[in-house]
Amino acid sequence: MIFGSENSTLAQYLREVWQGRFFWMSLVRMDLRSRYRGSALGMGWSLLNPIFMTTILCTVFSTLFGQDLHTFAPYVMTGLAVWSYLSQSMTLGCLCFHQSEAYIMQHPSPMAIYPLRVVLGNCFHFGISLCLAILLALWGTGWPGFLPLLSLVPSIGLFLIFGWSLACIFGLMTVHFRDVKHLTEVGMQVLMYLTPVWYPAKLLQERGLGWLVQINPLAPFLELVRAPLLDHSVPPPLAFCSALVVAVASFAIAAWSLRVREPKLIFYL
Amino acid sequence: MASVELNNLGLTFTVRHDKHITLKDFLVGRIFRGFTKKPMQVRALSGIDLRVNEGERLGIIGHNGAGKSTLLKVLAGIYQPSEGSRQVRGRISSLFDIALGFEQEANGWENIRFRCYLQGETPAGVKAKLREIAEFSELGDFLNMPVRYYSAGMRVRLAFSIATAIDPEILLVDEVLSAGDLAFQGKAHRRMREMMAKAQIMIMVSHDLEAARGVCNQVLWLEHGTVRMLGPAGQVIDAYQEWAGTAQQRGESNPGGQVVQAAA
Repeated sequence: MIFGSENSTLAQYLREVWQGRFFWMSLVRMDLRSRYRGSALGMGWSLLNPIFMTTILCTVFSTLFGQDLHTFAPYVMTGLAVWSYLSQSMTLGCLCFHQSEAYIMQHPSPMAIYPLRVVLGNCFHFGISLCLAILLALWGTGWPGFLPLLSLVPSIGLFLIFGWSLACIFGLMTVHFRDVKHLTEVGMQVLMYLTPVWYPAKLLQERGLGWLVQINPLAPFLELVRAPLLDHSVPPPLAFCSALVVAVASFAIAAWSLRVREPKLIFYL
Repeated sequence: MASVELNNLGLTFTVRHDKHITLKDFLVGRIFRGFTKKPMQVRALSGIDLRVNEGERLGIIGHNGAGKSTLLKVLAGIYQPSEGSRQVRGRISSLFDIALGFEQEANGWENIRFRCYLQGETPAGVKAKLREIAEFSELGDFLNMPVRYYSAGMRVRLAFSIATAIDPEILLVDEVLSAGDLAFQGKAHRRMREMMAKAQIMIMVSHDLEAARGVCNQVLWLEHGTVRMLGPAGQVIDAYQEWAGTAQQRGESNPGGQVVQAAA
């Protein structure tokens, strides 16, 4: 049982992650519970938060710019769901190893479970927002069809892989440079304006800035959710392939960095 | 058959004075090499050869900073050796830093579950042990309270009760645990002795030489991260006491004091 050592293969490593499932699953459950501990509405906030945000943005945009609510509300809701999942994977991921320092010091577990802890927690909120978005899309644009809805399943798989990789990469960077956490928070502000989260992508295209969306690695993930819910079609192959490439590439980077850094990580905490 | 084997094992780690390198340090350091302060290399362990077989009780002694706790963490698999190899057969249970790492917001029951899962228990296994752990800790209704309201003594009680509720194959212990008040300490010592007797292999770091003499049959004397002496308990402890005595006569209250700072 030597974790992260040179003679352990990926399959062995994954088996160890699986063997520790009761541990990390209970941590995820606790994170969710403690987030709302002491609040009257509790988990209800996971539901209300995206609803409030969407309502505010829709009110502003429909009164100021005369956007049609039937298409715009699901657009905003899907955007916020995807954005908060990805941005939180990065910002919360920064602290994933520090947060679990006491466990790392006590017991040799595969380190991959700590980014996983963060991402599974995020995934729960993502799931809630996504359900809301589906309901909103049903109201706004009607039944999207069975196949488009089914296409969300492999998409969510990609989201999981990408989210874990982001959390892992940002966590590792923060262990070595504490500044990364703060840089990430600032970077998220910038990135949010470069990603068509709540403003229509058309706005950018009209101003000749469409390439910003094309090179944005987060954009295909938005497309994965928006195509089925708003356009009632399976995601275009280009979007799906881009998301796949981004997810696989980031996973490769994360897995490789973790393999290289894991044995030494404890000395930097 | 449980066994532990270390071959020519060494551990070097890097510490910086302020522990964390900033992005500026990193970039500047890359451009103007040599301008920034050099990270400090600590040679914590070197050339350790050790084999512990089933039934053995090994004590690790040595002055402060000799690398005793570090060696224990390497044995536990928490630190990866920089060179050499470590081979372990059997399930390891470690008893050190136990009072660390409670989830502050979670209550006692939940923390019992986390710890048990961390030690590799299944939900069924935890269920079976939950009551026994609670009873041993004598915390009663306090278990329903978040751990952050616990006193230091209560935390140690809970941690000790959880950590010792296992049937260890290989047991690693750091120091004699001072667990809670007097009444609890008596109980804790009894529990420790039971565990040590049950374990197939026991390795403990000890400052209490007489305790080590009573419990261990083998003793390893570490000095500056290397093995100074390894052999039957009585023999090694006598040699160590003699050496410490002469060190005291020379007026060194803490032999190897410089190393303490380097390895701290």
